[in-house]
Amino acid sequence: MTSRRKSSTVMRMWDWSVPPVSTHREVLSIVPEGWIDQPRASRKPPILFIHGLAHGAWCWAERWMPAAAELGFPVYAVSLRGHGDSGGRKRLGRTLMRHYVHDVMQTITEIPQQPVIVGHSMGAIIAQLVADRYQPRGLALLTPAPIQGAAYTLPRLIQRRPAAAAKVLVGGTLPLGPEQLFCNLDETTAAMYVDRLGRESPWAQYELMLPHRIGPVRCPVLVVGTPDDRVVDERAVTETARAYGVDPVWLPGIGHDLMLDGGWEKPLSVVLDWIDERC
Amino acid sequence: MIIDRGGAWAVVGAGPHGLSALKNLLQVGLDADGYERATDLGGNWNFHAENSRVYESTHLISTKPFTQFPDFPMPDSYPDYPSHWQVHRYFRSYAEHFGLLDHLSFNTEVVAVAPADGDRWNVTVRDRDSGVETTRQYAGVVIANGHNWWPKIPQYPGQDTFTGELKHSADYKSAEVVRGKRVLVVGAGNTGCDVAVESAQNARETFHSTRRGYYYNPKYALGRPSDQTADLLLALRLPLGLRRVMFKSVLRLTVGDFEKFGLRKPDHEFFETHPIVNQQLVYYVGHGDIQPRPDIARFEGSTVHFDDGTSAEIDVVVFCTGYLAHFPFLDDTYLNMVGDHPVLARQIFTPSSPTLAVSGLIQPDSGQWTIAHWQGMLVATYAALLAQDPRAARRFYDAMVRETDVRFTGGAEYKDSSRHYYEIAHQEYLRAIERDLQRLESMSGALVSAR
Repeated sequence: MTSRRKSSTVMRMWDWSVPPVSTHREVLSIVPEGWIDQPRASRKPPILFIHGLAHGAWCWAERWMPAAAELGFPVYAVSLRGHGDSGGRKRLGRTLMRHYVHDVMQTITEIPQQPVIVGHSMGAIIAQLVADRYQPRGLALLTPAPIQGAAYTLPRLIQRRPAAAAKVLVGGTLPLGPEQLFCNLDETTAAMYVDRLGRESPWAQYELMLPHRIGPVRCPVLVVGTPDDRVVDERAVTETARAYGVDPVWLPGIGHDLMLDGGWEKPLSVVLDWIDERC
Repeated sequence: MIIDRGGAWAVVGAGPHGLSALKNLLQVGLDADGYERATDLGGNWNFHAENSRVYESTHLISTKPFTQFPDFPMPDSYPDYPSHWQVHRYFRSYAEHFGLLDHLSFNTEVVAVAPADGDRWNVTVRDRDSGVETTRQYAGVVIANGHNWWPKIPQYPGQDTFTGELKHSADYKSAEVVRGKRVLVVGAGNTGCDVAVESAQNARETFHSTRRGYYYNPKYALGRPSDQTADLLLALRLPLGLRRVMFKSVLRLTVGDFEKFGLRKPDHEFFETHPIVNQQLVYYVGHGDIQPRPDIARFEGSTVHFDDGTSAEIDVVVFCTGYLAHFPFLDDTYLNMVGDHPVLARQIFTPSSPTLAVSGLIQPDSGQWTIAHWQGMLVATYAALLAQDPRAARRFYDAMVRETDVRFTGGAEYKDSSRHYYEIAHQEYLRAIERDLQRLESMSGALVSAR
């Protein structure tokens, strides 16, 4: 509980009076054969992946989705509007975080039972906003964007990457290169992934600067960070974990995009083991 | 023999409110059994069920955003105003997603809900095929049997002598009832207006008798669903008087002056009666296909005389005069009956028992199932506290039932009519529920919370 008042979870005035327009949604999925016929109580829960800033559902499809499906988990990944192969690219300049929440909620209703939601970076904030209105089976936040608002990171960004900072401030997409995202990838692969990054909504980016007050959340929460992350700092991970009363899991030696970087198997097994044990 | 179900709760009815109660009870970690009389879920929206009162052409009269369950939105592929078929499919996917089907018994009628020791309840159910009755004991009961299925039929002088057909909208499933006939539709609720319009399209002649003039709101105004605009004005916290002026001017601009169409001038202020949302009625009045009439004076053979001295030859009368709440399985004293309707705190909690809750006894000036969700959340959170810390729950309950007489009218004075027994102004009501939930959550404290 906090002394600061959080905004209402009941009165969703803007969603009621100006609901998001619908757009084509890209949802990638692998449902292991025979899963649907297993008894609901004992089968592996579905996992829904939410990508981060400028990414798309593709980032999960590269490595994690086939690997998790191989172990019996039905896996889903949605491209938020304006990302990946979803529609809404032209409206990206008018897209807010609540539109992304809408896209995730729509995807959830198409999944046969309550999924574990896995959010990465900005996707972790979206996952938390979703969990504020919907009770998932579990909530895994990987290298999460700061729950306390990213504004505090600006001075350092201005110092270290002045051009990037200037771009963000005028509404451009935060430039992300191999040196920010990966530790262990060869140049060609890293360049190929970076090439697939798209643009981000300036408004969503601004919203990331603001603090988010969420909860109570009534499901198991996992927070994963890496000390070698050059996008999200340790403070963001620690604060997020603290907000949910859990200890963060630290995985050294891997970059911000831990679902693509060399050594992706380790964080995936941390997530899947946690699901098996706790969810 | 009574089967003891321990800490489990029973839920009567698998319509939207029953489903929401069941889902939320399970979600807070309690056990719960749902009983449904029909062979499928959906309640009123289960078109083929005996007690379903939707007709073939029924569509929602409020749009999706605040009609849907907030944690399970309707698909983007649905239109602004979905049909009852879509609504039913939506409830089914809700139940499947949250795993409710394993906790529901269909074709099972609740025949008695009777108190047992220690605020517990004995619930007797009958299998409708075999007739076998079973009694189980529960920690609590949520009644969600609906209040729009037990027809309220008026009595007019000479009604018994009427030679035509007398029907209630409960029997109205499609336009077949009126096709090619001379029809009198009685009542200007949303059903009455729907039936009048459908009759205008199918009957030989249509008369529409109403007690008073009403505001017929369009489904779309100024290019947007009008209820969304209404909520925008509420979101901006505009005062009631200003909203009235704005609504009336928009109505005047988009629909026009009702009196010029031959309709009566409303005898009340905006927001004093349950909103009628019907864009077509005024159109058909303008085409002469609906002839507005005042209240019925008397019946005489095949003739119906109206209060203004006019009369008409009628083949079929369709009474769209609404429904009354009806709880055939429970002694009325447990629901604080005043006359023919229960008076409950938040429309949910009865002063007679801390373990009996009613869900769905509301008629919001907006969508229904967002409120169904929050009613379910409130009851479930309360039930969880009751299991965890009965004394704290008792404090909450005692404070709650002291507010039994509090109504949520949004500042308006509702017209005194059985139609407004359960009327609530949705935003005011939901704010109250949110405060209740915050109080419950601060009492239980065992929840994981983010800042």
